[in-house]
Amino acid sequence: MVLVRDMPAVGRGFIERLEPPDIKNFYWTKPSPKNSRKVAVISTAAVSKRGDRPFSWLARDHRVIGKNDRDLVMTHVAVEYDRTAWQLDINTILPLDRLDEMAKDNEIGSVAEKHYTFMGAADPRDMEKSALEVSSEMKKEAVDTVFLVPV
Amino acid sequence: MCGLAHIFESQGFSTVLVGFVKEHIEIIKPPRALWLNFPMGRPLGKPNNPEFQKKVIRTAFDLLEKSSGPVLDDFSEVIPVREGRMSYALPVSLVYKVNQLGNIDKLAEQVQMELSNLLPDYFKALQNVGRTTVGASELEISEFVPFISEFAKGNKPKSPRKGLPAIPLLKLVVEDLNAVYTETRIYKDKIDDFEMLGKWFWEETHAGKLLLAVEAVSLESKDQVLRQIASMSLLTPRFWSEGPLPGISGSGWT
Repeated sequence: MVLVRDMPAVGRGFIERLEPPDIKNFYWTKPSPKNSRKVAVISTAAVSKRGDRPFSWLARDHRVIGKNDRDLVMTHVAVEYDRTAWQLDINTILPLDRLDEMAKDNEIGSVAEKHYTFMGAADPRDMEKSALEVSSEMKKEAVDTVFLVPV
Repeated sequence: MCGLAHIFESQGFSTVLVGFVKEHIEIIKPPRALWLNFPMGRPLGKPNNPEFQKKVIRTAFDLLEKSSGPVLDDFSEVIPVREGRMSYALPVSLVYKVNQLGNIDKLAEQVQMELSNLLPDYFKALQNVGRTTVGASELEISEFVPFISEFAKGNKPKSPRKGLPAIPLLKLVVEDLNAVYTETRIYKDKIDDFEMLGKWFWEETHAGKLLLAVEAVSLESKDQVLRQIASMSLLTPRFWSEGPLPGISGSGWT
């Protein structure tokens, strides 16, 4: 995305007024060796499996996407981003096929069975409880690497 | 997204993110971030281009080799956008007043006819592509226009979907209708051009005109939620417009 100063007036004004979260502590987890990493994707595109509960407009919760789930719908509150890209190719927002190919090529260790989506419009401070639940699930699966993808 | 990175890192995961708003990444300082100068809605860059998508992932994952952070790199390739906007935006001048709308029943008939003409290609696309993004509303396609038209006439229909009130459902139906049109056009004309698709849908189709009618009515509605979602451009794409809706500061985002 271009720098905020180069955006048109309405979007620029909104983004400039967003209050970033105040991060008190900085954590750094040493990554696993490249070809043993188990990767899970966290997306804020508010996509979910067809038939799942839609995300509410400022949802703090999350949905689970299975490694092989491709029949997804999006219930993101915002309309300010292009939705034609994911209509063309789901990997443009949720690159599970690409990660699978990279695992087969030994570029990463493996792809997690479960991936997680949030509503990107919500304040990240409100998502902490849900993020901790996701962390617990990822630990059960021995995920060690998290790839965060916005929309 | 940057805030989530800190939470997951604190839980013992190594995180890496790709992100769009560089200024926010610089302030929030997630452990490892790759800034993308791409339009929003396409964080892996180019649809149906596995090599480009893997280049984004590989570049992001290279940050996992750094011994300390926070680290922020720029992805080397830019996907240019028009006039700084991250997606299609309606022209500021294209706003209807309620007294300009004319006969909504007639407009709804035109949309139904237009939709009927598109559907054979939509179903061909579905068969050939094997997936559709239409369906968040869980309404049948045949129900879209009657449901939306009620709002354009100033009514608030009962939600046919249990557990989801009419106004949140309206938003999903609007997006489903839009997706039927764009998926059909993408398939039929082999297009990857969100500016062109946005201009076509919102400025040239009867469906776009019906949704602008809903916006006009909603902006004058006594229903606060309906008024709010219209003024915040949650029904129509005005976020990247050069100016706000008339009479509304910052497109309602203040």
